[in-house]
Amino acid sequence: DIISTVEFNHSGELLATGDKGGRVVIFQQEQENKTQTHSRGEYNVYSTFQSHEPEFDYLKSLEIEEKINKIRWLPQKNAAQFLLSTNDKTIKLWKISERDKRPEGYNLKEEDGRYRDPTTVTTLRVPVFRPMDLMVEASPRRIFANAHTYHINSISINSDYETYLSADDLRINLWHLEITDRSFNIVDIKPANMEELTEVITAAEFHPNSCNTFVYSSSKGTIRLCDMRASALCDRHSKLFEEPEDPSNRSFFSEIISSISDVKFSHSGRYMMTRDYLSVKIWDLNMENRPVETYQVHEYLRSKLCSLYENDCIFDKFECCWNGSDSVVMTGSYNNFFRMFDRNTKRDITLEASRENNKPRTVLKPRKVCASGKRKKDEISVDSLDFNKKILHTAWHPKENIIAVATTNNLYIFQDKVN
Amino acid sequence: MEAQKEAQRIMTMSVWKMYHSRMQRGGLRLHRSLQLSLVMRSARELYLSSKVETEETELSFAAAPLNLPQPMTAAEAGAEVDSPQAIEEAIPAPEPMETQDARETEPAPACSHLPPVTFATLPQLSMKANRKRRSCTLGQGRDAGLIPSKKARLEEETVPAEGKAEVEAGDLGRRPSQVEEGPFPSLARVLQKRFSGILNNTGGPPKPTAPPSCELKPGCRQADNMINILVRTVVAF
Repeated sequence: DIISTVEFNHSGELLATGDKGGRVVIFQQEQENKTQTHSRGEYNVYSTFQSHEPEFDYLKSLEIEEKINKIRWLPQKNAAQFLLSTNDKTIKLWKISERDKRPEGYNLKEEDGRYRDPTTVTTLRVPVFRPMDLMVEASPRRIFANAHTYHINSISINSDYETYLSADDLRINLWHLEITDRSFNIVDIKPANMEELTEVITAAEFHPNSCNTFVYSSSKGTIRLCDMRASALCDRHSKLFEEPEDPSNRSFFSEIISSISDVKFSHSGRYMMTRDYLSVKIWDLNMENRPVETYQVHEYLRSKLCSLYENDCIFDKFECCWNGSDSVVMTGSYNNFFRMFDRNTKRDITLEASRENNKPRTVLKPRKVCASGKRKKDEISVDSLDFNKKILHTAWHPKENIIAVATTNNLYIFQDKVN
Repeated sequence: MEAQKEAQRIMTMSVWKMYHSRMQRGGLRLHRSLQLSLVMRSARELYLSSKVETEETELSFAAAPLNLPQPMTAAEAGAEVDSPQAIEEAIPAPEPMETQDARETEPAPACSHLPPVTFATLPQLSMKANRKRRSCTLGQGRDAGLIPSKKARLEEETVPAEGKAEVEAGDLGRRPSQVEEGPFPSLARVLQKRFSGILNNTGGPPKPTAPPSCELKPGCRQADNMINILVRTVVAF
């Protein structure tokens, strides 16, 4: 099915994917083989479960899609793993636990579970745990529903590990992980008259270290940082990050390509990254008037915006991610290309996730798109890009150089070459 | 001219996309609707500005009176498909009627039938797609301006679009004398008023009263009472 979200857990051992059919598939990294120190463990399927089902809103006569929009892992506190998954309307907290022992030797039950006739019981024994094949169980522990009128686009767990936020097009709600029957509305940008609506919320995230701080991005290309200490309703931002538009780039579609599709804090908390249709921008939280770095992802598409509007590609929402040390950022593009930008060396690379062109264990060859003029060997011209093959979701292992890249139907996991 | 065509093409495309987005699973996407309306608005502004530039050339066209031109259907097509819902989708009355006081001119390629869509009523539409249109039950105060009511509305922007437009163009001679009853009475009334004005050489339609929301929209040309175009940006849920 079509993958709609990808997320590593805090240790990087587990990788969760959500798809359009409401399923979550979790991969687990194999333990490193002591004898083969030159390769890290591979990821194999660990658990699969149906997180969300299609629902019907009878009041509005609307179907609620089961597509998983976001998955976020909770930090591990005990043997079990917890994650939040959300579709357009409902957030669920799932517990994923392992069972590798089972009790045997009951007095009143046979091994297959049938009850024994009590009159046949002549001796008593103490049941004992015996090993069994590993079973991974996923069970929904909390369901957070009925708090969003519009479609949920983001969830983000607070650094206090007790609360989290969920954001839809016009509102952001704050939840406590233990409490499902109420949430606090902390941002509301719905105008009194809907006809005056000019922007919507596109993404939101808590600061990785400051539990009072969060940001949300808008369809107008602005990012607002809010401090929950300032007031209960954070309608007034503490900081507004906005770069003035370059008038030479103004076009029909300027407004919609400036819409931010993803915002991610760096692990350090000093920077945040935003993705709009054509570029990735790194902002220093201390400077609001412009980003400190801008990387063009596929500038050659700027002259093709009309065609991209026609085929709806201009509405694609690309995500972006940081590596563990915040030195490299990554994002997807078309033709199953994905791009990485090294912030220190200022070098960038384009790679392709495809089975035809790459056999397992081969080193990925850098790709190049030829924008105009004579196409060199091995270059691909803009017109031959396949816009149906898009990489919207990518994730980077928090500690190692292992990346997960989702094409439409497939998940690719790459790691850097270990000498 | 090219810019005008391009703008019209984009507007048509946008209407189609808006229509199709309503059919999607999961319901109308607010962000998508907003983006489509932004493009629509940009296209409309470009269209109007290039239209003004070429206006002189259009004036020289001799026209069969009141013939709703071909290009309209393209723009209308998107709205047309909507027909049950199309009532609330707005199409301005033919531009020539608006720009010439007493002239009968063929609008010809200058079909400025921008198909503004009144978003405010879209979600209601999706619910009531198969129901009879009720003129008053759908309306909050703000929606009242969008829904053609049984009362005659002067130059309200929200003239309903319908596939019969071309047929009606042919019937326009009869129109003044007969009030069209049926699903789209308001279109008939507006057309009647406009065309009878032209035919009677009264100087065209009276100055429209701009609905309140017009004041809020910078793109709305209140001063230009000849062009009654309204673009609402937003879907209300």
